[in-house]
Amino acid sequence: MGLVQNVVFGLVQGSYIAIAAIGFTMIYGIVNMINFAYGEYLTIGAFVGVLAAGVLPLPVAALVAMVGAGAASIALAKLFFTPINETGPVPMLLTSIGLGLVLRNVIRLGAGRSARYYDTESATYEFAGVPEVPVGSVDLLGNFFVTSRMLVVVGCAVAVFAILHALLTRTDVGIAMRAMSDSEDLARVRGIDTQMIRNSVWVLAGVLAGLAGVLLGIQTNVSVTTGFSQILQILAAAILGGAGSPYGAIAGSYVIGLVVALSTAFLPADMTGLSSAVAFLVLVVVLLVKPSGIAGEEVREA
Amino acid sequence: MVGWWYLSQKYDASSAMVSRDTNVVDRRTFLKLTGGSGLAATAGCLGFGGDGGGGPIVIGQPAALTGQWDFLQPGVSAATDAAIQHINDAGGPLDREVELQRRDTAVAPQEARTVVTQLVENDDAVALLGLFSSELNPLFDFIQEQETPVVTPWPGSNFLDTRGGDKGTPDDLSDDGWIWRTVISDTVHTAGAALRALDDGHETVGVINGNTEGAKSWADGFVNAYEANGGTVAERVEVSQGSSSYQSALDRLFGTDFSAFAVSLPLEDAITLMSDWADGNYGRQPILSDPLAQQDLVDQVGDPLSGAWAASPGESGPNYDAFESAYEADADINAWTPPAWDATMVTALAIERAGEATPEAIEQNLGPVSRGDGTEVATFQEGKEALNNDEEINYQGAATDVTFTDFGNVIGSVVINEVQDGEFTQVETISADDLREFVPEGEY
Repeated sequence: MGLVQNVVFGLVQGSYIAIAAIGFTMIYGIVNMINFAYGEYLTIGAFVGVLAAGVLPLPVAALVAMVGAGAASIALAKLFFTPINETGPVPMLLTSIGLGLVLRNVIRLGAGRSARYYDTESATYEFAGVPEVPVGSVDLLGNFFVTSRMLVVVGCAVAVFAILHALLTRTDVGIAMRAMSDSEDLARVRGIDTQMIRNSVWVLAGVLAGLAGVLLGIQTNVSVTTGFSQILQILAAAILGGAGSPYGAIAGSYVIGLVVALSTAFLPADMTGLSSAVAFLVLVVVLLVKPSGIAGEEVREA
Repeated sequence: MVGWWYLSQKYDASSAMVSRDTNVVDRRTFLKLTGGSGLAATAGCLGFGGDGGGGPIVIGQPAALTGQWDFLQPGVSAATDAAIQHINDAGGPLDREVELQRRDTAVAPQEARTVVTQLVENDDAVALLGLFSSELNPLFDFIQEQETPVVTPWPGSNFLDTRGGDKGTPDDLSDDGWIWRTVISDTVHTAGAALRALDDGHETVGVINGNTEGAKSWADGFVNAYEANGGTVAERVEVSQGSSSYQSALDRLFGTDFSAFAVSLPLEDAITLMSDWADGNYGRQPILSDPLAQQDLVDQVGDPLSGAWAASPGESGPNYDAFESAYEADADINAWTPPAWDATMVTALAIERAGEATPEAIEQNLGPVSRGDGTEVATFQEGKEALNNDEEINYQGAATDVTFTDFGNVIGSVVINEVQDGEFTQVETISADDLREFVPEGEY
């Protein structure tokens, strides 16, 4: 078992989670709610993408999916969350759980039972001849491979991180988001249109969910559970990184991805099915040691 | 169901009391009798009790209308509907119509528990024609409490190998397991897979399986049969289902030496896993669990899957033709479709032989209509005629000969379906007789 190979797998898995976790944690940081319906935003993006891919080239279909999921996100926010903005995080959390349930069943009714698949090809690039550095049963180096699909996922994640960083540091909207994340009241006093910022966050979170949904759909399939099956890892990554912090969410996602990959590779044979549980164990341990998460922001009341 | 049956028993008891005690019916006894009769009649008019009067007999079907196994349900639903149609066209058991009540469990145990309760308590179903291993195993004790026979085409789990049936004592309900399955156990067809793997010279294999009951059961059965016949399992990896990637698990599995590997996962997870396997160029011979013999898997994984094979329950019943001629639905026939036909037929015949449509009577007659030296019948119509002529019957089914063992199991052949030219093609049949040595009497 090669450590490098499993680190590659972990980075790829972390990239899927990171793209979605950024949107999830921004909703938490700015709208101040845990949105359990967020997994369904991924599902919406995956479905829009797979439908668009039937008539458009895949990159264009992915853009359509991002726009579609962004539109769905703001529409759902206007319908279900904006009217109860002032009720506090708990009613909004409960509303999101209910909304997620409704959306899953609506999608199930509309899309039917069968999984759908993106028609893609993947090339494999093998790196042979890498020297072995065995330590016990673990090879610290060794041969490894990557696929074009993995490179696309990691590339998309890196692009998202770069654009997000530019958005948060170089644009008025991004700076306003950060200000509002620190203190909504102070931001309002400074003349920031907080509702407009909230709307922007909903759209941005939806766009990111759409992209994550398409990438997950390409890797697995598009079904009613595409996003729902990932929501716990997304939530764990966001909390691990420091709820509300996009940079923390990125770090948390890669920790989760690497822990899942490495625990699958190195746990005793009869415990390999528990790799996801190990990721949550890491989350619990980190929160016990550093309750504010990796990025150091306090976990707010929810 | 319960109301009418209960009142009938009370009425019979009252009658017996009258005849035993005295030939003179006193006022109190008369009032009891007339009151009881009136109540019973009222209950019948109001529809209390599915077994009362000449109304329809309700049979329940917990079904996978949604969930990860829902792609298998259309064929099973269509076979059940075709069987019900045939039974009703033949006059129905006890000259009454059979009404099917189908409810969705999504193959989730908690949902299944609710559905079984609804079917038994609200719909007055006298028998249930469904439930998967993933539902039956955790709900086994609950099913016993219902005391309603479950005749199911689904479960392969070896957990049920010694738990169902009437234990060879049809009249004694106290030792019954209330579960009968018309599909062969994983013990049988994983034995077929193990036999084929060894015949092909694969003396060492790897195994990768999901973490649900059904996926683990298949892998357990395969490993047991394979090792019992001299094979060696080099590595077994269990994975969490629903993962976005299985590359780490594959990397671990293929870090050991073996010539073939067995895969037991639901279809969608298996597509992800086998696509990862193809991307990683891991190679070696794939052996697939029986639910994976699906065209979707071939379409999505593509050429690398060529040569992969699955051992599935065969269509070896003596009367497959009777099923096939009645089956007109568009839904594909899968390995569970003919067993669904058999489950419906044998249940209706049990009602006919019992002379009453109560769960207890059906439970007591499922064994007798499937075993022994009675007249062999292929359909309900033939069975009804034979029973009306006071003959004993032995139902010979479409998927197997439906000779229930004492534990409510059947034995049948196994077919090997191999991926050739972009589709699964049947290449070999392993007869039931060859597989019998894997299922010793008293353990199946």
